[in-house]
Amino acid sequence: MWTFALARLAGILLAGLVLGFFVGPVWLWLLGAACVYLGWQLLNLYRLDRWLRLRSRMDPPAIGGVWGDVIAQVVRLHRRKRFHKQRLVQLFREIRRSTAALPDGVIILSPQHEIVWFNRQSARLLGLKRPVDIGLRIDNLIRSPEFIHYLHGEEFAMPLVIRPPVRMETFLALQLVPYGGGQSLLLVRDVTRQMRLEAMRKDFVANASHELRTPLTVIAGYLDTLADDPSIDPAWAGPIRDMRSQAQRMNAIIADLLELSRLEASDGEAAQEPIDVPRMLERLCRDALAQSGRPRQVLLELESDCGLQGAHHEIESAFTNLLVNGLKYTPSDGTVRMRWWLDAEGAHFAVIDSGIGIPAEHIPRLTERFYRVDAGRSRGAGGSGLGLAIVKHALQRHGGWLDVRSEEGRGSTFTCHFPPERVWKPALRSVASA
Amino acid sequence: METADLTHHISRRFNEDLEKVRNQVLQMGGFVEEQLHKAITSLVEGDSRLGESVATDDYKVNGMEVSIDEECSRILALRAPAAGDLRVIVAIIKTITDLERIGDEGEKIGYIASRLATMERPADKYREVKHLGRQVAQMVHDALDAFARMDSQAALKTAREDRMVDEEYEAIQRQCMTFMMEDPRTIRRALEIMWIVRSLERIGDHAKNICEYVIYMVHGKDIRHTSLEDVAKQIDSAHAKR
Repeated sequence: MWTFALARLAGILLAGLVLGFFVGPVWLWLLGAACVYLGWQLLNLYRLDRWLRLRSRMDPPAIGGVWGDVIAQVVRLHRRKRFHKQRLVQLFREIRRSTAALPDGVIILSPQHEIVWFNRQSARLLGLKRPVDIGLRIDNLIRSPEFIHYLHGEEFAMPLVIRPPVRMETFLALQLVPYGGGQSLLLVRDVTRQMRLEAMRKDFVANASHELRTPLTVIAGYLDTLADDPSIDPAWAGPIRDMRSQAQRMNAIIADLLELSRLEASDGEAAQEPIDVPRMLERLCRDALAQSGRPRQVLLELESDCGLQGAHHEIESAFTNLLVNGLKYTPSDGTVRMRWWLDAEGAHFAVIDSGIGIPAEHIPRLTERFYRVDAGRSRGAGGSGLGLAIVKHALQRHGGWLDVRSEEGRGSTFTCHFPPERVWKPALRSVASA
Repeated sequence: METADLTHHISRRFNEDLEKVRNQVLQMGGFVEEQLHKAITSLVEGDSRLGESVATDDYKVNGMEVSIDEECSRILALRAPAAGDLRVIVAIIKTITDLERIGDEGEKIGYIASRLATMERPADKYREVKHLGRQVAQMVHDALDAFARMDSQAALKTAREDRMVDEEYEAIQRQCMTFMMEDPRTIRRALEIMWIVRSLERIGDHAKNICEYVIYMVHGKDIRHTSLEDVAKQIDSAHAKR
């Protein structure tokens, strides 16, 4: 192609040279030939330029030679670009359609928490408006203090459940998912149904336990009378004794169920009454020593005389449950140690026993309701199966957590950790007692 | 749009300062909204502890007002804002005063609700008061939304709702009077309820004030003490000009 173009230029110049040689001054003819060539090229350039400008509305000009080649290249490039663009647009539409169809709300947030984009569902759930809300900070629109705290915090693993101010009867779970470049995704889900079911379950447990209590009291009362009645055939003494002990156990289970549902129902943080933990532990220890069939050694190690700020009743029931567990699963020649100490991370209470221990695979599930390590074990010992669930809930309400370590056959350690905010300092105690 | 004024500024720091203080106002608003919700819930559900917590948390609102006020004075002194920015600052200073008053009324409701929780509850379980409370809470919410979006139309719409709140207030007032006449034993409770609805009505007025500041902030027109119909005409003509 290029050789042909060069040959054409050479031909035109040669023709000018030959004509100039015969007819007139050579330079004039040569100049004329060059001008004709230049003019022709300019014309082609003009046509190319016009076509590039109005590409969409006209066909490519029919020019041969080098120019035709260039035009063909441009057409090819353009076609390829259009193809890619169409594909991208299609992909983009697909994504937009699928996110719009998502049952959950999705909001894209910039690093400054400004709304970059949101789908229809999130607009419906949170009352966002398009397009005025694009570019606004999300915390200007969702102003719940809990949400603002969550947004500026670091802990995004768990979603936050709030009641949106627009429709108070619903519950929304919001979860922030940070991703590249400081941006983040805010997922919004309507969890009203789950929350209602949860509330119904709690209500049911509380009501059922309450309703069972009255008939059981009647049964237990009659059993007590029967046990003391001398006119009853002595052969019945055994069965009546069993019935009485089972009725007592049922009573204990119901009491635990009620306690648990009360802990669950009172959401938020526990109260801030000062609790004298050392004195409470001394009393628990005395009670344990008074029990028959206890392990040989029950020790109390008080390493700090600080107390706690919390709900007295809840803390006592948590500590009692742990101690009773320790006593139950420790053979009579074993040791149960209680330890209370304070360090930089807060206050801690541990029950360390030399009992039968718990296999490692059961430890994570211990705090579930009615969870049994093995079916025979605790039922024989007469537990309700709710003790550790109560401990967990009581600690949660005080900002604390339960740590369980155990080795099978060698004993277990249950440790309650309390944050420093909950510690009641001895300095305050002397003031309070004075 | 005048809304864009906030985002186009020579000094980026100034922009950030303005945006930050606006965000603080809305945070304060969010807290006040929650206080109000809690106060109404404590009355309707007879939860005395919730009512007390509303009353004891009011100091936080006051703290927020003071710190935003300081921030505004700092901006005024340092940046000497003009035109739209000056209006934003002035509107913010006024808005936080009203928010703080809303907080005070919420505190009052919470306090009375915790006292009422120990008394016998009426058969209708405070349905009317609950309804009025919802209405007022919605008004506060809409006013703050209009503030966040700099939306004068929404602000005007919300300001108009104040009339409905006033009507509701009078209806409850009449109802309370009927109760008192029917059975003198309810007088004590009815009087307490009167305090609560009075507070709710006041909150509605404060929400309306906030709406007026939003319109002032966006259009630069002081519409206090003018009829809302005239304001609507002015805003519409302002929109038509754009």
